[in-house]
Amino acid sequence: MDRQALIRRLEEIVGPQGVISERNQLRTYECDGLANFRVIPSVVVLPETADQARETVRACHEAGVPFVARGSGTGLSGGALPVSDGVLIVLARMRRILEVDLDNQRAVVEPGVLNLQVTKEVAPDGLYYAPDPSSQQVCSIGGNVAENSGGAHCLKYGFTTNHVTGLEVVLPDGELVHLGGGKAPDPTGYDLLGAFVGSEGTLGIATTVTLRLLRKPEAVRTLLAAFDGTDQAGEAVSRIIGAGIVPAAIEMMDALAMEAAEAAVHVHYPEGAGAVLVVELDGPAAEVEHQFDEVERLCREAGSTTIQIAEDDDQRALFWKGRKSAFAAVGRISPDYYVQDGVIPRTALPEVLRRINQLAADRGLRVANVFHAGDGNLHPLVLYDGEVEGQEQRAEELAAEILFTCLEHGGSITGEHGVGFDKKQYMPRQFSAEDLDTMQLVRCAFDPDGRANPGKVFPTPRLCGERPGPRRVHPAEQAGLAEVF
Amino acid sequence: MTEQTGRGPEPAHERASATQVGARGPEGLPDEVGAEPGQADRATAGAGRPEAGVAVLPAFDDHHPPEQELIDDCVHCGFCLPTCPTYVLWGEEMDSPRGRIYLMEIGRQGEAMNDEMVRHFDQCLGCMACVTACPSGVQYGKLIEATRQQVERRYPRSRRDRAFRALIFRLFPYPRRLRLLRGPLRLYQRSGLGTLARRAGLLERLPRRLSAMERLVPDLGRPEPVPEVTPAVGPRRRRVGMLTGCVQRVFFPGVNAATARVLAADGCEVVTPRAQGCCGALSLHAGREAEAQGFARAAIETFEATGVDQVVVNAAGCGSAMKEYGHLLRDDPVFAERARAFSEKVRDLSELLVELGPVAPRHPLPMKVAWHDACHLGHAQGIRAQPRAALRAIPGLELREIAESEICCGSAGIYNLVEPEPAAELGDRKAANVLATGADLLVTSNPGCLLQLRNALERRGRHLAMAHVAEVLDAAVRGADPASLLARD
Amino acid sequence: MGVQDLERDGLLRPAEAAYPIDGVRARFVALPRSVEEASQVLAAAAADGLAVAFAGGGGKLGLGNPPERVDLMVLTCGLDQVLEHAAGDLVVRAQAGVRLADLQQRLAPAGQWLALDPPEPRATLGGVVAANASGPRRLRYGTVRDLIIGITVVLADGTVARAGGKVVKNVAGYDLAKLFCGSLGTLGMVAEVIFRLHPLPAAAAVVALQVEGPDQAGQAVRRLLRSTLEPSAVELTLDEWGWPGRLTAVFEGIQPGVEAQAAAAAELLGQVGEAAVAGPGQTEAAFNQLGALPFEKAEYALKAAFPPAELAGVLEDLGGGRLRWGGGPMTAHAGTGVLWMASGAREGDIPADSAAFGSTVRAITKARERLAARGGSLVVVKAPPELKRAVDVWGPAGDALGLMRRVKERFDPDRRLSPGRFLGGI
Repeated sequence: MDRQALIRRLEEIVGPQGVISERNQLRTYECDGLANFRVIPSVVVLPETADQARETVRACHEAGVPFVARGSGTGLSGGALPVSDGVLIVLARMRRILEVDLDNQRAVVEPGVLNLQVTKEVAPDGLYYAPDPSSQQVCSIGGNVAENSGGAHCLKYGFTTNHVTGLEVVLPDGELVHLGGGKAPDPTGYDLLGAFVGSEGTLGIATTVTLRLLRKPEAVRTLLAAFDGTDQAGEAVSRIIGAGIVPAAIEMMDALAMEAAEAAVHVHYPEGAGAVLVVELDGPAAEVEHQFDEVERLCREAGSTTIQIAEDDDQRALFWKGRKSAFAAVGRISPDYYVQDGVIPRTALPEVLRRINQLAADRGLRVANVFHAGDGNLHPLVLYDGEVEGQEQRAEELAAEILFTCLEHGGSITGEHGVGFDKKQYMPRQFSAEDLDTMQLVRCAFDPDGRANPGKVFPTPRLCGERPGPRRVHPAEQAGLAEVF
Repeated sequence: MTEQTGRGPEPAHERASATQVGARGPEGLPDEVGAEPGQADRATAGAGRPEAGVAVLPAFDDHHPPEQELIDDCVHCGFCLPTCPTYVLWGEEMDSPRGRIYLMEIGRQGEAMNDEMVRHFDQCLGCMACVTACPSGVQYGKLIEATRQQVERRYPRSRRDRAFRALIFRLFPYPRRLRLLRGPLRLYQRSGLGTLARRAGLLERLPRRLSAMERLVPDLGRPEPVPEVTPAVGPRRRRVGMLTGCVQRVFFPGVNAATARVLAADGCEVVTPRAQGCCGALSLHAGREAEAQGFARAAIETFEATGVDQVVVNAAGCGSAMKEYGHLLRDDPVFAERARAFSEKVRDLSELLVELGPVAPRHPLPMKVAWHDACHLGHAQGIRAQPRAALRAIPGLELREIAESEICCGSAGIYNLVEPEPAAELGDRKAANVLATGADLLVTSNPGCLLQLRNALERRGRHLAMAHVAEVLDAAVRGADPASLLARD
Repeated sequence: MGVQDLERDGLLRPAEAAYPIDGVRARFVALPRSVEEASQVLAAAAADGLAVAFAGGGGKLGLGNPPERVDLMVLTCGLDQVLEHAAGDLVVRAQAGVRLADLQQRLAPAGQWLALDPPEPRATLGGVVAANASGPRRLRYGTVRDLIIGITVVLADGTVARAGGKVVKNVAGYDLAKLFCGSLGTLGMVAEVIFRLHPLPAAAAVVALQVEGPDQAGQAVRRLLRSTLEPSAVELTLDEWGWPGRLTAVFEGIQPGVEAQAAAAAELLGQVGEAAVAGPGQTEAAFNQLGALPFEKAEYALKAAFPPAELAGVLEDLGGGRLRWGGGPMTAHAGTGVLWMASGAREGDIPADSAAFGSTVRAITKARERLAARGGSLVVVKAPPELKRAVDVWGPAGDALGLMRRVKERFDPDRRLSPGRFLGGI
């Protein structure tokens, strides 16, 4: 690839103010929210319209150059890690809300629109956009689509894939397709929309997203319940679920996580609490009132020492701010940390937490736990000091072992942060070779040349030209250039 | 490592011409960068700056480079991005706090301080909205100040740039010189010459930055002096000093007079040293370290001599700077401790009034008021509740919140002079949000913001009464007719 | 390795056991009893180049264009095990041949259910996935794609592959389960499924409103959807005689909640017409009626899908005489924008050469255009093969058809899985 020629071509498409090729500026894009991996892209492009995005992809296709898409760069699995000989396409300037259809409860947005922006836009009309990752004030809808992002409220309301009803997608060869029914249900044909959401940028770039909006519930009640430890808190969760109640969210934090969050946000968690639950119920008022009382009772029965009930929106917002800031706030109690993301069946929670604590103790490291207790999605924050010899290595090993524990208990290596670059090495532990090859059939249909976000999700690329069937050895493997993990 | 300036060592194809990236040539820009409300999304990064092809290596020297420990606090989460005005405008990582910290980091690692890097540092408004948003507690204020100091000392600006900055700093921190301009400026305005020049498009011919300056000058009223000592009304609860400021004292003299009256009404004896000079805020925030230190020492000495309990400031930028004197003079064996002690005594007006608790009854002022959080008050000092409380305590006053209150209006010290285009876009955005509140009066506590917003509203052909919070409180205490506030501009 | 081996291994059944698909009957019928056997069956079919179709309860075999060929029909009723019900996690793992009704019975003692309520009584889990079957409660719980969390499929060459898992939160790898939803057996055989479950509601209340015409129906639904009420279902039914129709809103949950909501709904709908909360006996009856449409017996049936706000307009468009041929009833999931129409006509009533045939084709085409103008679609769910060929079951394909073909080519390169039945003749 002639870099200068490509730069000129890209400048023709987006204008010089949309192309970055100077080293210092390129370096600011060399990682996303996961700063452990850094690769300087060859060029960064910032299209402002869907047409520009499409032309950019086409230019990459014509030049035979790989590309990586990036929204706000807040992902935690390295999904937007650039490729050194490729183009980084940043969608942050495509941030218009194109249409809001109140009657059909749909919004059509560009991929750079921030998650929270959607809710802000429709809140005056009594609607909101349900998926609420902790980074929602900065993460982009396009990023949410790529990762199938969840959030605390996905326990009741589902994830991005349940709230995206249409996509305009630029395929890696520059072709434009529309997936999903948009405003109408049950589109004919294959559910390629379902395959695309969560494909982590390996199938193409979404340039327009149609979102489902929900009506704000009549009532919302939130409480903060403190417990002596995570076991008791987990017991409370079991009782709540067992009673047939489906809260909008149940989040748990352990003592270490609370310490960090308190430093950042000053929630005033009860002193000495070993674990805290944030439980939120929403829905029709009569139902919420009744069930909320029951939740409070169940928490006490499970041994809750203190229960704080949010009196108003501000207090409720504070409870949530504490929880949502927990990751980044951990930076205050430790020089370095690594956010892990794993899933286990909810019923395995107490045992897995115990195991994590044991593993951590064995390695002489601390782990702060924050998680979606309702659906078993753990976020152990492995704390370490990179300056101390060997600690970073041990922290990585611990993080990996936590994942293996999740798999042992029938869970998954990622609940919402994605596989990205960080976890592709673990995919063969969760899936067989046939499973991975079958998934890659989809990739080959969308991206036969393997140019969309290569090196992510799958540990070894499938040669799309080969006939499907029992897996053959990849030439790179054969030549000893690549390893199957 | 020897310092180098001049053409950097990178091969030619690695260096994009700085004017290409995010910049449009100065000639190509429309004079009125009137963005639609909330739609300011054209990248104008670095417009109007001629690049010198410079690379300074190493990027930072040993005199207070941006601290590694502070840089390490950043976990790269990106929560600061949506609240950063330049990221909101341009959507580029390099013009976000996260990106700027990254540039500081790679500068420390060995990348050159080149034109691009400096441009992104220059384009930072220093509003510190990022500090408010950051969950990890990154002290970005200290980082950008240290970085700006490095830039000012070591990066060779273009001759035009240097000249313009020299002009600003020979003028604004010197009230006497500003006052000398008052007469001619007043004449210029009263005679209608200003309006004529504007209408005739003569201002288009002035260099962009000078015309920006021209637009910012307020209409000048009669000067209103403040006595050296204002006795407390009733029992004296506290003895405070008052900073009169530079732009404030020359262009908004009524504000200082009102401030003194309000403080007196709530039981303070107000000492206003006649001989006081500039607090050094503009210099400090622009990275002119030695200059700022000089002003700081003088200010400390002036107020020490009065023996007051606290020093009250009615300009957000100045209050913020004075609270940093301890950090600014930490290397000075003579002043370090004095500066630290001094900083602890500094209070913003509303901060002190709430601390004291009101004494004088507030008479009703039935009006709808929009309170604008000046960045150096809300973000840098964390003072948001107090001005609101002070205003809400006035019967009949309805307080309206401005949407996107955390985003800077674009004044940012000298920013609207040296970076007029993004400043104008931000001003437009803020003006739209202000007008959307439907308020009768805009109230703030920073003269820079007042000028910036007035300018932005004028560009839209709109007009809204504006006042400093001291003036509103003063009117409430005196039982003045609300119309006196609403009739002004 | 071929069909002969299947016979030897006892995996075949008499050919008479095959369900015909649009008159096409397979030569061979296989009944695997495990995923391994299913893999063996498909590998054998691949070796012999046989075209394969799958059948669960057989209720939705009429869906799709007439197949180009069917050599082997694979019955899934041998895969009838519920493998795992993790009640504490609200997850169930079962084989594709399990009947939905049986599964619900199995889950009920734990106070849980799979939130799918398609009206077909013999629906199997695999069939529900492959046909994307849904019922009235999709308004609240979503459709198959919103409930499925894991899948095991057998591909055309016998490869067994899994995606998803046993946990609800899972973004590892591509979501193949969704790809298979509604794929009608053209990408592979659904062998096992993992679903997320919901608690069985403790109580229910029903509010009924008599609606005189499309406008009133539209208004009523709009009011319900704009309120903060959370009905499980909002159904509009018209019997064969047309208007007035009945709008039924169902509220499920805890007793105090449903009582309050039903009362509020009755008041809300009372502003539009005569609404009443149904008494206990009526509630029972309403439930049994919910979403029922005699598809099994009907020979002609259509499904319209449209943005829900277009309800009134769609009712106008479709309500015109021609389309209500043979006096057929209609039921709409009014809150979601899905409408089903069945006809009492028998195939003999509309012979291929008759004028009635021509006008039926024109009516369907016209209705399709009108729906497209409203952003919707019209699918011929059931019809004799000649009508299907004249009208094309699915309607226009959109710009992703090429991509869909490429996906099909990857999964089934020899084009042997229900060839021709899917959109665009895939």
